[in-house]
Parts: sequence; structure tokens; C-alpha cells
Amino acid sequence: MIVFTCCDTFDDMMTCIYDAWAARLGHSNIRLQTEPIGNFELFCEYLHIDADKEKVKKVIRSIQNKICPQAFYDVYTASLSYESNKLDIIYRFLIVGFLYQKQVTQMLGNPAVATLFELKRKVTNEAHQFREFVRFSRLNENILLSVIEPKCNVLTLLAPHFENRMPSENWMIIDKNRMIALIHPWDQKSFLCPLTKEELSFLENSRQNTDLYSELWKTFFHSVAIKERKNAKCQRNLMPLWFRKNMTEFQ
Amino acid sequence: MNIQTSFTINQKLEILSDAAKYDVACTSSGADRRGVKGHLGNSCASGICHSFAADGRCISLLKVLFSNECIYDCKYCLNRRSNDRVRTTFTPEELCSITVEFYKRNYIEGLFLSSGVIKSPDFTMELIYQTLYLLRNKYHFRGYIHAKAVPGAHPDLIQKTGYLADRMSVNIELPTKEGLAALAPGKTHDKILQPMSQIQQNIAASRLALGKSSSFERHHGNRYLPNSIFSNDRQKQLNASASSLAVQTASPLSAYSSSAPSFVPAGQSTQMIIGAASENDYELLKVTQTLYQKFDLKRVFFSAYIPLNEDSLLPSPDTPPPLLREHRLYQADWLLRYYGFHAEELLSPEKPNFNLLLDPKCEWALRHLGQFPIEVTTASYSQLLKVPGIGNKSALRIIQARKNSTLDFSILKRLGLVLKRAQYFITCHGKMLYSMPIEENFITRQLTAEQKETSWKLEHPQTYQQISLFDDHFLDVPPTVEDKCKSILGQF
Repeated sequence: MIVFTCCDTFDDMMTCIYDAWAARLGHSNIRLQTEPIGNFELFCEYLHIDADKEKVKKVIRSIQNKICPQAFYDVYTASLSYESNKLDIIYRFLIVGFLYQKQVTQMLGNPAVATLFELKRKVTNEAHQFREFVRFSRLNENILLSVIEPKCNVLTLLAPHFENRMPSENWMIIDKNRMIALIHPWDQKSFLCPLTKEELSFLENSRQNTDLYSELWKTFFHSVAIKERKNAKCQRNLMPLWFRKNMTEFQ
Repeated sequence: MNIQTSFTINQKLEILSDAAKYDVACTSSGADRRGVKGHLGNSCASGICHSFAADGRCISLLKVLFSNECIYDCKYCLNRRSNDRVRTTFTPEELCSITVEFYKRNYIEGLFLSSGVIKSPDFTMELIYQTLYLLRNKYHFRGYIHAKAVPGAHPDLIQKTGYLADRMSVNIELPTKEGLAALAPGKTHDKILQPMSQIQQNIAASRLALGKSSSFERHHGNRYLPNSIFSNDRQKQLNASASSLAVQTASPLSAYSSSAPSFVPAGQSTQMIIGAASENDYELLKVTQTLYQKFDLKRVFFSAYIPLNEDSLLPSPDTPPPLLREHRLYQADWLLRYYGFHAEELLSPEKPNFNLLLDPKCEWALRHLGQFPIEVTTASYSQLLKVPGIGNKSALRIIQARKNSTLDFSILKRLGLVLKRAQYFITCHGKMLYSMPIEENFITRQLTAEQKETSWKLEHPQTYQQISLFDDHFLDVPPTVEDKCKSILGQF
């Protein structure tokens, strides 16, 4: 068994798929995995792949043209997942995809397609939850700051929503696990930017953690619940505990 | 008595959100609006919940009363005139600044503004209108707004408010005239239905002016349902009655262009209280269906009655809220709107209430076992929807998946069917999952066995007791015939 490995970015993954495909070793003889790799297996050869712009373009073009744009969107979304076998799932999906072309997105009965569909759904669901549970606080009069710790890399999925929601505000969302910031200057397009530890701690220290409106929100949050209908299980179901770390009403 | 005349904004918010919490509608769905540079906010047709309160209900709007002063004396209401409560009122500016700042911090999707009736319905409606006007025009707020139409307010005021709001609602509260007369002495059905039909006509007229159909688009699945409550003959009626109005109302605006402002684009909703008066589920569901058909309502909400006031006409204050009954009614409401069922199919005057142990669809299926099992490889969308355990998403997925591959039960499971319930009602290539009798008693036993425990817990919260070694349950042996003889004869 030969295992192709690469870093956890979209470009690296696409290049990895290209090289694995081009190696012509037979689909059943290879596996793809993202780094870091926890346990190395015996009788496996590990090959590290680095990103190559040309190969990335080729892979994206052929997915869009030979399968369909929807399939590319699904692959992209799935690649944002935190699971380490996502790349292999994408690879298996593409094998079926290049065989059946456009209709592959409808072939939910096929195990490879169904697994990718499930993975994609997990990512979009988490992105949707963060659309709901992101909480901004004031860095100063003009800048809104939010820090989140998502499992999947959801920032690119959040960007269009918040850009549309607050086009004329300065805001940034920070992914603390990956140390990336999504920055949106007012009336402009948002962009991603890597962050250092010092920058993050500076931002976290300088934001206003308690002010009038966060107090008002906590008051509202507690007074709007009907105590005769108290149902903590339902609440946990809809808003799991791990989201609450960075939410104003639970601080 | 200590009369406090001025409250801080925090106290006001606490009092007025506490007073608004019994209103159920907290949805931000139904309207799609893109954000615009220089303005704040957009609106998503799917709706976004921003938090979930301790009772598990979603918080998507800033749900407050404008004021908790009221001239009415409805028996069930916490803010009735005769209750001794702290009364306060927001100013429009205060409300706007809270809404905008909350919105920017992603706490809420918009504002839900209701109010007790101060001085007169007109005065109250005017205040609500002023708030919305400020929010839309001074603060350039493009988020979601849900406003109450106060029954008895002047139609012009309601119309002006409707052009600023996304959704409006008038609460019916009680489905029967008798119930309303007994519990809400200041209100009558006609007075409530009058603004409702005005809003409906204005919506229809505005939609026609925008080049849409007069009645709302319902879930796209309804197109494939031949006999749903939203079927065509109703729409023709509505079109006819509204088109005459459209000409009158749309003429001052730029007629038939997409730039005309839309009136209540997310439709109107209403709410009914469950368990305060003696109405049954059949009456409630019939009224719900009529509201969908006649008034083109987007949603009807149910609210389990929570005893707040003591009154001889109301249930006693220690009655638990009928949560499970409310849940069954919501399930039935979904069956009406998404599954092509009619109220008359689910219930009848002879059987007016839902079974609390079984969901309405299972119950219906068990009464119509002749139509089952359904073959999933060939059944139509409307047939699939009748199967318990198949919803509209999984039905559409089945139809998609069976075009390209042969189905089997493991695939069905992966598509998201709830086989736990569906297995009794479907075949796949002529075979059921296990060989089972299609027999009412057997299936009922199977279905309720798993649900009994959960429904019991819902119905009877915390009725457990600690087991102790010295419990004397079942230890009182009743005297036998011999003992009695002995006691009579005195042989001790």
C-alpha cells in the first residue's frame, strides 16, 4: 500500500489527488491522507506531496468540466472537514464521478457518493451553526471582533453570509484553532489572513468583554425563557455545549 | 407604596421581554432580502436562530412588548388590567438602538414587536409604526421585523405598518367564539378577523403588483401533491378577489414593477392557546386549516397554556402545561402544510383528540393499513410521504437515488429514512425488512413500546421517588375470607 500525504490546505489536497491519480498504481493499491499522521502503518510507503499551482488548476478544471460545478462545490466543502480520511473519501468520490459524470451527484445509493455527501453535510451543518452562534464584541467604536473555535474550517463558508449581512461595518472573525482571521473592512470584500499568537492575545485583551449591550443581551436571554417549560436536553440538542465557550450569554 | 417612575434600560428590557415571552412566534423566515452597502442587514428565507433559551425554544428575534400597560382584561393574560404589576414603556429610540446594536453583534435576526394596548388601539399602533419607521429610515435597518397588528386599530395605520414589516400577526388566542367571549371579554372574533383579512387582501394586492401570484408559494413539494390543502381551486378564488384591489392600491405606486414596496413579504401568522378553554384537537385543527385556506396564513402557532392567573373559568394554577398535546398539534400542522393531509383525515368528531402515545401520521397509517405496504421502488412522491418515518427530504432523496441505482434497505437507511417506524409500512423489491404481520395490534405494540417511556417522562415530569428498603408497597395483604370469619367469630 502506498499512502500519499499532504498538508491540510485545498491546494495541497488537489495536487495530492493529481499525483496519486497520475502514479497509475491502481486505485485499490493507494490511499490518500492529510497530515499530521498519527500512526504510521507497517508495510506502507508514505509519499509527501507539495502543492503545485498548475496541477491544482488542472484538477479543478476537470472536476468542473467533466463532472459538474455542483460536484466541485461538494468536494470543496468536504475538504474543509476536520476528519483525516476526508481526502481519501474525496478521491473515491472522484473515481465514481469521472466514470458517471454529471449524474453522480444524484447517485446517493453509491457508498462512495453517500460518504462524501455525509461529510459535506456535516461541514455545511457546522457552518450553519456558526452563522447562528458567532458573537461579536466591540474592539472599539468601529470594529467588531469575534473569536470562534470551529472543528471544521468554516471561515470561507461564513464569509459570504456576513459580508451580505453587514456590508458597511468593520468586522473580523478569528478561527482560534487554525489561527486564521477573516477580515472585512467596510464596503469592501473580505479576505483571509494568518494570525500570530501575539496578535491574537493582543486582540483578545483589548476587546471590551462587558459593556451595556452584552449585559442587556444576558438579561434578555434569561428573561425570555419560560421556566415552566424548562428543557435543558432540548437546549443542548440544538446548541451543543462546545459552541458555548465563546458565546456572550454563557460568559 | 413605593412608586418608581423611571427604570434603567436594563430593567425595562427585563420587564418587557419577560412579558412578551408567552408569544410563540419567533421565526425569522419567509423573506429573502440581500444586504445593501450603506445599510445594515439582510434577511434569509430559511430563517436563522441565534440562540436557544433554557426552555429549548429558539431566540431569533428580539421579542419584546412595546409596553405592558393594557386596557383589556383578558383572563389568561399576565398583563391584564386587573393584575397588579410593574408597568413600563419603551421609547422608539431606545428600542431602535438596542435592536441595531444586538443585530450588529449577531445576537438576533431582527425585532419582534408586540404591545399591550395603551390608551386606545390606534394610539398603540401609531407607536409601533413610529418605531418601525425610525428603524427602517433613520437606522437603515434591513433585517427582519415582525409586528403585531392591534385589533381595532385604523386600517390605514395597519397598512402603513405593513409596508415596513416583514411579517404581521394577529393572535386568535381561542378557536371558538364561546371560549373567546368567556375568557377575553374585550375581544370578539370579528374584531380579530377584520385586521387579518385586511392584511391578507393587502398582501395579495401587493404581490399581484409585483407580478407574483396572489397567494404565497408553499413548500415546493406541494406541487407534486394532487390533493393538498393548498390545491388550485382555492387560488383562483383568491386571485379574483384580489385583482380588483390590486388596481386600486397599486396605482399610486409605480404599477407592475419590481421596485414597488412589498407589503408583509413574509406573510402573516397567528397563535392559539391550547388547554385554557375546553376546545378539542379536531376543532383546533379545523380552524388551522381554514386559516391556511381562507386567510392564506404562513403559520399557525400553538401555545400550551401556562396558568398565570387564578380564575374560576381557567384551569387551576397547578395544572402542568400540555406540552405533549402541543407537540402533537404541531406534528399535525406539518402534515397539513407539507404532507398533503387534511384535518378531516387525521381526526373526526367521533375521535376528536390525538393519541399522546403515537404521532398523528403513525396513527393515521394504522387506521389505513389497507394502503400499505408501499413499494418504495415505484411509489409516487405523495405516496411516499404517507409512510411514517419518511419526510419530504428523504422522499425526494429516494426518488433521486432510485433513478440511478437499485435500492435496498441499507441504502434506504443511509438516505435518512427512519426505519424504526418505516419498516412496518414499506417493501423494497417486494420484500419487507423482516417478515412481519401487517396487523394493527402488532404494529401498535411495536411502535408504542419504544415511545412509551419518553412520552411518560414528558407528561409526568419528576414523579419518581426514591426506592427504600422500608417501602411498604404491596405489603398490605388484604384480609382473606378466613380472616373475616375469624374476626366475626372472635377467634383471635
